[in-house]
Amino acid sequence: MEQSSARQEIIQKLKQAPAEPVGPRPVLPPLAELSMTQEELVKRFTERLVEETGVVYRVKNYEEAVEKLTEIAQAENLKKVMISTDEVIGQLNLPAWGAKQGIKIMTPLDFADRDSYKDAVFLEADAGITGADFAVAESGTLGIKHRKDQARLISLAPILHIAVVPIERLVPSYEKAIDQVFANKNSLPSQFVFITGPSMTGDIQGVLFKGMHGPRKLMVILVG
Amino acid sequence: MNKVSLFIPCTVDLFLPHIGEATVRLLRSLGISPVYHEEQTCCGQPAMNAGYQKEAKKAAQHFLEVFGEDEIIVSPSGSCVCMVKYHYPELFENDPEWQRRAEEVASRIYEFSQFLVDVLHVEDVGASFSGKVAYHESCHILRGLKVSVQPKKLIQAVKGAELVPLNAADTCCGFGGEFAYHYADISESMVKNKVENYLAIGADLLLLGEPGCLLNIGGYLSRNHPQKKIMHLASFLADYRREKT
Amino acid sequence: MEPRTEKFKELVARELQNPRSQKFLKVMPPIQNMKRSIGLSTFTDIEAAQAYGAAIRQEAIARLPELLEQFEKNALANGAQVFWARDAQEANEYILKLAKERGVKYVTKGKSMVTEETGLNEVLSQNGIEPWETDLGEFIAQQLNLPPFHIVGPAINVPVEEVRDIFMAKANLKEPTLDPVELGYAARLFLRDKFHHVQMGITGVNMAVAETGTIINVENEGNIRYTKASPRTQVSVMSIEKVVPTMKDALHLIRLLCRNCTGQKLTAYVSMDSGPKKKDEIDGPEELFIVIVDNGRTKIYQDLKARQVLRCIRCAACLNICPVYGQIGGYAYGWAYSGPMGQVLNPLLLGLEKTQDLYRATTLCGACKSVCPAGIDHPSLFLYYRHKDVTVDPYLGGKARPPQEIRFFKAWAWAIKHPWLWNLGIKMARPFINKNAREGIIRQIKGSFADWFRQRDLPMMAENTFHERWKNLKKEVYITKPT
Repeated sequence: MEQSSARQEIIQKLKQAPAEPVGPRPVLPPLAELSMTQEELVKRFTERLVEETGVVYRVKNYEEAVEKLTEIAQAENLKKVMISTDEVIGQLNLPAWGAKQGIKIMTPLDFADRDSYKDAVFLEADAGITGADFAVAESGTLGIKHRKDQARLISLAPILHIAVVPIERLVPSYEKAIDQVFANKNSLPSQFVFITGPSMTGDIQGVLFKGMHGPRKLMVILVG
Repeated sequence: MNKVSLFIPCTVDLFLPHIGEATVRLLRSLGISPVYHEEQTCCGQPAMNAGYQKEAKKAAQHFLEVFGEDEIIVSPSGSCVCMVKYHYPELFENDPEWQRRAEEVASRIYEFSQFLVDVLHVEDVGASFSGKVAYHESCHILRGLKVSVQPKKLIQAVKGAELVPLNAADTCCGFGGEFAYHYADISESMVKNKVENYLAIGADLLLLGEPGCLLNIGGYLSRNHPQKKIMHLASFLADYRREKT
Repeated sequence: MEPRTEKFKELVARELQNPRSQKFLKVMPPIQNMKRSIGLSTFTDIEAAQAYGAAIRQEAIARLPELLEQFEKNALANGAQVFWARDAQEANEYILKLAKERGVKYVTKGKSMVTEETGLNEVLSQNGIEPWETDLGEFIAQQLNLPPFHIVGPAINVPVEEVRDIFMAKANLKEPTLDPVELGYAARLFLRDKFHHVQMGITGVNMAVAETGTIINVENEGNIRYTKASPRTQVSVMSIEKVVPTMKDALHLIRLLCRNCTGQKLTAYVSMDSGPKKKDEIDGPEELFIVIVDNGRTKIYQDLKARQVLRCIRCAACLNICPVYGQIGGYAYGWAYSGPMGQVLNPLLLGLEKTQDLYRATTLCGACKSVCPAGIDHPSLFLYYRHKDVTVDPYLGGKARPPQEIRFFKAWAWAIKHPWLWNLGIKMARPFINKNAREGIIRQIKGSFADWFRQRDLPMMAENTFHERWKNLKKEVYITKPT
């Protein structure tokens, strides 16, 4: 069949080429973050994310997290919000909160199909509120495993993304996150993303600005 | 001290022989009596750069025969030293005997400032100069040979000389041999930038270690800013020595 | 993209006189270089970090067939579909077929240089499928029908006035503005609608991880994430050399890529796909097609010296540091790939005879090699291509040199071994060289060296060469005073 012959040809040509020994890897000093305490990691995470205009709030528990959300909702005049249904967001009982605040809370489960969900997340939601699976200190980065309870567009389409992250999920380096996510080849998430700050570009005359296609603002609430 | 053999690049031989003379005088003032093999011709770089490797090999073979017995070879040029050190062994990759000879010679060849500081352990040659000097980091000397600290030490040891920073000192001046006249418009643009950076700092003198750069920057200065001075480091150190021989 | 690599000198002359290109080139590359240095300073040992990256890419290329097989096996196990394309035509036809089968009217595209190489956009639009570039720079270049000025910022040199005009004409910009932020916002609104309704998206691939069958993209804008979230069909196109052995290797390369490219520690988004979406997910692609493209690379791979070019990770550090790029900008290189990486890659993909200026228009200054995180030795490749060109290599191509030049070097090589002849030749050349010399300075020599003298003088050839002066020097009585 056409396809297998293209594949065969390419692989064969590569295999018949002269061999090249694999060189040794040089010694690489470990990242500074690997030997930091949790408080140092929080500080590093915060500094790095703030450099990228992210906003970081530290709260003691989920009650305080909800209070912080209330503040944010008022400051940003949020009317309609799309939320994930992950285990962290589940802790916050946002539908009840929304009802009290007069904010319409939507989740992907409310929609019968992709298209109506997309209409809502593109056109209606003022913000997306999600959990995150990791907060990586080395660059102020969130790590998110996309799955049924963690849809992709929620942290991308609305102009504001708010992520709630328990402090136990703070890790020093990308490897610490990836080791967990990719531990079992048979159960890899369909997509895993690292998010560092809002969307941005410098493509017009090198002038940098935030909020190109994705969110213009990113807020992280660290819990614990 | 073992015999030091001089390797004088053709740019110096033909257009800048005073740099060769200065190198000889300076070495003598340091107690070295350099030899100069009169059968030397050219390291072969022009052919190598033009893609004529067969011809470059012939030059290499001649060079290795001329300099093969020398314990130390010194040259007031970085690009020629790089040619011998890095390209000769590559040129003979299919010829183990010549490659061995090339590697031998490659291990014994030095650029001028590298030799003074790293081998002779000399920084103060007894020169003095009142004024500000800037140093241009020629590509083969800086990136090819990783020599940068040495010429600056030599300059800073000159009594009364003030080494001032040159913006984009490590950016290529645009010589590149054939490039300078085959792609003259790009080359002119590059040397113009180099000279603008030199003019901007109010230095009395621009120093460098590469004859090709000297012809290039010097040639542009001569045409456009004839009052601005430029010298090869060897000439500078020899000419400004306090005790003349 | 149609190559114009044979127009190099013409394009250079034009760009050196282009005030907008020149203004941009004075400012941006130096800023990028500074940012790169700052970004790299987070490594305690920068050289080791770069060398480690080079080692990863060397291993990836050395083990290429094995890693590609491993990648395919794991990608298939993840539920992706894999298509192998021998050349541009096969790749384009396959992607076109996918689009037609699905009744797609338009696609959104994440930045993919290999699809610029294959000319995918032309094929799609000729067949009634609109390919919307969504990376802002690519979008602007596409609307203005311009080639890329820089591999990372393809339209970064375009002045705001031109962006305003094209956005008013084609991107629903209502109120004229020269503010890049407002222009960006207009593009956001315009393209948002495309992201919302798109049914098929096409991305490139920064890295394909063999260990897990995962494809990775890095970006700042979010357009690639949309292209991977919104449509039901995702097509990701990779050339064969994108594969890396392990996730850990990929992470190190991502650190290097971001710092070398924009000075960032990490781009705003890094997305890693291992197959299409799971059944219960509401967004993400139902089908993921990975297109693996050869298009001349298996040929490059046969050459042990040339194949290091495949290590490139497209960071553009070499463009930003190159003093030649800094004078002429990206258009002059005449194809999808510019700067030193284009100078080493284009000759292998297009043939040495079509790209003769690309590997000659360099001073071999080595700045590119000194910054490359993939360990590519560009100057050594330029010398290699020149050698292959001169010998008219049947495999890589080449064009016979002018007979005058061949004769010159033959004579030169002979004289070089016969010092008496060499020195005689110098004596004979002297009156010709010095013909126009006055007060020790030559201001003109006719012939092949003439262009030197447009802006530069030359000292006259010395009446006595060093060789001649040595006769006296060696006799000189001298007193040495050791210091």
